[in-house]
Amino acid sequence: MVALIVTLKLTLLKNSLKRSVWRTVGLVLGMLYALGIVIVALVGLTALRFGPVDLAADVTVLVFAVLTLGWLLMSLLVFGVDETVDPAKFALLPVRARELLPGLFVSGLIGSPGVATVLVAAGLVLAWSRGWAPLLAAVVAVPIGVGSCVLLSRAGTAAFASFLSSRRFRDLAFVVLALFGAAVGIGGNLLGSVAQSGSSQLRQVLADTATVVGWTPFGWVWAVPADVARGLWWQAGVHLVLAVALVGVLWVAWGHLLAKRLIEPVEAGGGGSGRVKENALIDRLYPATPAGGVAARTLRYWRRDPRYLAGVAGLLIAPVVLVVTQLMNPGGSSVLAAFAPAVLGVLIGASIAQDLCYDGTALWLHVASGLRGADDRAGRVMSTLTIFGPVLVALLVVSMVATAEWSLLAPVVGLTIGLTLTGLGVGSFVGALWQWPAPPPGANPFQKGNSGGLPSLLSFSVASLGTTVLAVPTIAAAVGSLWYGWLGYLSVVVGLATGLLVLRIGIAQGGRVLDRRWPEVLQSVSERSA
Amino acid sequence: MSLQGLCKTFGTKRAVDHLDLQVRPGCMFGLVGPNGAGKTTTLSMATGLLRPDAGTAAVLGHDVWTDPAAAKALIGVLPDGVRLFDRLSGRELLRYVGLLRRVPPGDIASRSAELLEALGLTEDGNTLVVEYSAGMTKKIGLACALIHAPRLLILDEPFEAVDPVSGEGIRSILRSYVRGGGTVVLSSHVMELVESLCDDLAVVAQGRVLVSGTVEAVRAGSTLQQRFLDLVGFTAAGGEGLAWLHSSSPSS
Repeated sequence: MVALIVTLKLTLLKNSLKRSVWRTVGLVLGMLYALGIVIVALVGLTALRFGPVDLAADVTVLVFAVLTLGWLLMSLLVFGVDETVDPAKFALLPVRARELLPGLFVSGLIGSPGVATVLVAAGLVLAWSRGWAPLLAAVVAVPIGVGSCVLLSRAGTAAFASFLSSRRFRDLAFVVLALFGAAVGIGGNLLGSVAQSGSSQLRQVLADTATVVGWTPFGWVWAVPADVARGLWWQAGVHLVLAVALVGVLWVAWGHLLAKRLIEPVEAGGGGSGRVKENALIDRLYPATPAGGVAARTLRYWRRDPRYLAGVAGLLIAPVVLVVTQLMNPGGSSVLAAFAPAVLGVLIGASIAQDLCYDGTALWLHVASGLRGADDRAGRVMSTLTIFGPVLVALLVVSMVATAEWSLLAPVVGLTIGLTLTGLGVGSFVGALWQWPAPPPGANPFQKGNSGGLPSLLSFSVASLGTTVLAVPTIAAAVGSLWYGWLGYLSVVVGLATGLLVLRIGIAQGGRVLDRRWPEVLQSVSERSA
Repeated sequence: MSLQGLCKTFGTKRAVDHLDLQVRPGCMFGLVGPNGAGKTTTLSMATGLLRPDAGTAAVLGHDVWTDPAAAKALIGVLPDGVRLFDRLSGRELLRYVGLLRRVPPGDIASRSAELLEALGLTEDGNTLVVEYSAGMTKKIGLACALIHAPRLLILDEPFEAVDPVSGEGIRSILRSYVRGGGTVVLSSHVMELVESLCDDLAVVAQGRVLVSGTVEAVRAGSTLQQRFLDLVGFTAAGGEGLAWLHSSSPSS
């Protein structure tokens, strides 16, 4: 069964590479990137081999715990998991989850991140080749550690996917996801700021953090060889037992979730009767025009489609992390924290650029009904503003109250307005330029897009870069206001004026692009684009 | 509807090969052909969903590819094998299509109610389309194609997965639509259905029209089923193959 599933994965991978240039480019870039990391890591680990034992212990525990956490976080928030071999596809075959697990596990390791992790983890053996006991401990720890990386990402995404698709737990899962991301971001930032506080202190902080991290699930297994090398035998034993237990629990949990998915693939509906109340309020919110229709439809999707919810959670993390770290950090700048709403503004604009891809083949309706591209663009901007307008205001109030930088109110408002409007305009245009097949609604929202996530990353970068460039006048005025207060009021005017201008042009030009290439857009968002 | 010299190539496969088709106004037109004949590709090019490599498609004098706005306003489409915006309820979806088609809001409400009633979907009007069965999804798709009172209906496999009662409902809707001056182009695999429902038909295979005309003319004295098999060149495989499938065979 293992060989069969692994062969299946390789065949699917090969065929998808044949079909899409994007995928090949993504794969090559990913491999180069991973290769760079592996080389740096191996050099570093070899160097640790000749350093003091304590240093090697602290550094390896920290680095590998971050790696383990990274597997979970990256798959939840950034890249999603590779569902080339989709467990739901096995639903019709007479196989049990138990038989599928080993094969799915091994196929999860195939790919740049998996291979890179195995290689870096093998470097741990190098670092601990300073004696027989630590060497043996490392040899035992590496497979367990690599296993927990893969299992954490698989079980974590499977759990969140099933929560997000169930109506009852959707909102809770959404909040937990956002908080989890924010907490990790805040923790990382605080660590970074402590690291700047001086090298004598740094050594102590490093040791303390490593000890603490070693007792979290992400560090258990990596602490085993470190304990052995320092002769801390009973700690090593406890860490090993915990690590093995973690792998066992994750294995069982993943198997359970997989078994559930074999009976009831996530794709099918959302549980419950699926009846909705007629809500004329949403319809009355927008004019009875094509653009208004698009706005009402996308607004309903924001609420009903897990993919959008996962997206909002991702967007909120950056500004929240910014506020909290700058405030908790003694050396932090409350001025920076005050500008958090502006950060959200840029992100919103960049996210609207992928709205078309989420529609998938359902987009045929827009094409067949002869909808003007500009109406499509305008409708999406309207609903995005409806969702994020109140969020922006709330974030503005929170950041102002928390930082007490009331003198910055004008430039912060100016910059937020400017970046949000400019971002929406740029996003409307960029979104019309290129599209890619996204996982369909109801599918695992943590699944990678068919093109490996590269085009979405590219579109995001282009949109946010474009927004920043076009908002330079507003940014200049807002920054200048730190020295000349009156510039803050100017930034409101400039932000509003340039923002509205960019938005108008973005909608009109993006619409024109769509009018010209609607059928091609439909082709490129279709799941089975030939 | 008039298609002339339509071509479409996917990779190395020529899906539609210089296809010509004339459909006279006020006619119920059936498009039949084996799997992979290019029916869906043809209908996609006729409705503006897929850009042809060559050839033209015109609807009531408006070219679909040079004057898309005017042509698309006249067409109602039910494609096959694509998603609907299925996170909307049936009623919300109809309203959405109505707004996209610039139907006045008052008319949207009354027409939605009538369409849901006629198709037996009133009770499920507030259920999300994603929860609908395959047949119900076809029916709501048909309602979406009708809501702006088009002059031409282009339906890809409208009767697939639809139960006999609803199928009769759809047939009577289509018949009265044609009586009222509308034109219907539908594709189907079911010969009996095309034979009983359509005025004219065309048989398509390998991206070309093999024969086109009134049902009587195409049938030429035989049954449509037999004529179809003759035209596309069916060779019966006989009863020898797949013997292992028989439950009575010793290997089972």
